[in-house]
Amino acid sequence: MIATIARHQILSLRRQRTFLWLLATFLVMTALAGVLGWSSHRTIVGVYDESVKLLATQGLPAPENPFRLKPTLSLLSNMVVYIPLIGALLAIVLGHISLADDETDGIGRLVFSRRINRTTYIVGKAVGAAVVLFSILAVSLAVSTLALVIVNRALPSFGEFGRLAGFYGLSLLYLMVFAFVGMATVLLTHRRSLALLTATGVWLVITFAVPQVTSGLRPTQSLNPITDPVSTSQAFFRATSKARPYSVVEQYKQISGQVLETSTVKGSLTGLLSIAALGLLLAIAIVLLVQRHDYSTGTSSD
Amino acid sequence: MIETTTTPAAPALPTRNAPVTTNSPRSRIFALAHHEYRAAVRSRILLALLGIIVTVTAVSVYIASVDYRSKLADYEMYKAAAEAGGVARIAPSLLAPLSLLRGSLEYLEIIGAVIAIALGYLTVSRERSNRTLAMIRSRPVSSGEQMAGSLLGALAVIGTLVAVTAMVGIVCVGSIGNDWINAAQGFKLLLAYLGAVVYMGVFYGVGVIATAHTKVTANGLMIALGVWLLIVLILPQLGDTLDADNQIPGGLFSALGLDRAGETKILEHFTLYEKTRIGIEELSFAKHFERFSFAMTDVQDKYRGFSLGQLLAEKRNDIGWLIAYPIALMWGLRRSFRNQPTLPPTS
Repeated sequence: MIATIARHQILSLRRQRTFLWLLATFLVMTALAGVLGWSSHRTIVGVYDESVKLLATQGLPAPENPFRLKPTLSLLSNMVVYIPLIGALLAIVLGHISLADDETDGIGRLVFSRRINRTTYIVGKAVGAAVVLFSILAVSLAVSTLALVIVNRALPSFGEFGRLAGFYGLSLLYLMVFAFVGMATVLLTHRRSLALLTATGVWLVITFAVPQVTSGLRPTQSLNPITDPVSTSQAFFRATSKARPYSVVEQYKQISGQVLETSTVKGSLTGLLSIAALGLLLAIAIVLLVQRHDYSTGTSSD
Repeated sequence: MIETTTTPAAPALPTRNAPVTTNSPRSRIFALAHHEYRAAVRSRILLALLGIIVTVTAVSVYIASVDYRSKLADYEMYKAAAEAGGVARIAPSLLAPLSLLRGSLEYLEIIGAVIAIALGYLTVSRERSNRTLAMIRSRPVSSGEQMAGSLLGALAVIGTLVAVTAMVGIVCVGSIGNDWINAAQGFKLLLAYLGAVVYMGVFYGVGVIATAHTKVTANGLMIALGVWLLIVLILPQLGDTLDADNQIPGGLFSALGLDRAGETKILEHFTLYEKTRIGIEELSFAKHFERFSFAMTDVQDKYRGFSLGQLLAEKRNDIGWLIAYPIALMWGLRRSFRNQPTLPPTS
């Protein structure tokens, strides 16, 4: 039964135009991340060469090339930003559509007129969402690998491919959290739009507000893959930085940076466990919420 | 959580037989604006988003103000010591209290735009789902008046929100940072927040247009959020990522031991690259708002010595975009109000 529900879920998503647009945007951004990485890398090397010439005319020694020590996978460092921005919104929409469509179309009423266990239903929906996200990230992994091959003119080594796969595995875990947020808000509200706005609000808080409190990161700093380390000299940050291991977006970025070797800041096991724990808590929440959800009235299509 | 939107009554519009004084276009517009404002402040989701933006604004300004207070105290100590030592010329402080509001403006840029989209969405979906749009249309109200009324009401809501965040910011800077802003700074701040109202007004328009053009209004909301994602997050991010100086923490040119003159000289070899990067940023309306508001609030060091006239002249391109976008959207808004279906789709 779980497989049937998941298959139905995947089939209906393939017919959703809005979802397909978001999916296309995400894949384009994946390809763009490779192009941008290549373009900025080439420019920086050019800037370095010109700097060496300029400094030589002034009789100054050449500085160390800041890019010499950069690993091959740093080309894809922008993906660490795109997953929490575009990927997370895509996951919210995915989770939202998974449950909201059944309510507004009356399928939920029909399904629960049969002897179907609600836990089976929601697990089927979660599996469907996980399969879709896995497929999207698998395509994204293929696009990223292709970008690396084109730019570096060599296949990634086994270790590099392992790191890339590890990054996308972590991204799947992170995105599932937001798919569950999208589902939970549908089960908590009676209007589709309200559910979507609530989920967007949760995403805004997790992505922009929490890092401001725990690390003093301004919202626009979250758009840059490279951010200056935050000082904890203020008493405020000495207190709030204790909550940093639970700021899932920061933990995701730090662990990703470590996996891709694009950052010197190391992620922690606590960070990884925080993301997994949040996902687990939300999964339990939607299982409990679906038990008491009233499918007889349905959700307003608005 | 249960349903959090209420069902406000339709606006008390003047009837055909009402006295001429109350049946004027102006009174109809104000009636619609009042209805829009009242309905918006009754929406719990908008209030929740307002709560988020005010809280994060307070936190961001608090963080900046605490840091500022210690720097200001250091400067005052230096000044007192210099005066006691008989130093005739004391270097002026480089601290700029208005720059503490940077976080507040960034939140308006990101979360404020989402609030404006939600407001625009609610303008259309509320009347459609309550089936009050057909009733409004039965009264002598033109689509232009409906647009003007809704826009006016929405701008009043946005103005209230911006005023609240501004007050929170100013009070934090004064009480925590120990530096109350003066009249000249207040005027520059007023211009920055006026820019924020215009900016959010544009996203209100995006919300209305996207929702009015879709049968299922929730899909319109998704499309509007997609536009927001592109304009507010993706395009500026592309511009930032391509910026050569942003590639390394602390700045690439600084790491290479180059000053501003050296940076300019090097970038002369990358004019096409820089033009492409700047062109991408120019496409983003959010970036124009950001540049204008940052210049008005002394966020960028290079504008700190400028007079207001010089600042406005320097930012004329961004001001032009801040005016052009709303004008273009007005046309789209009017069409949307005229052509939208009056009844919700039957499911």
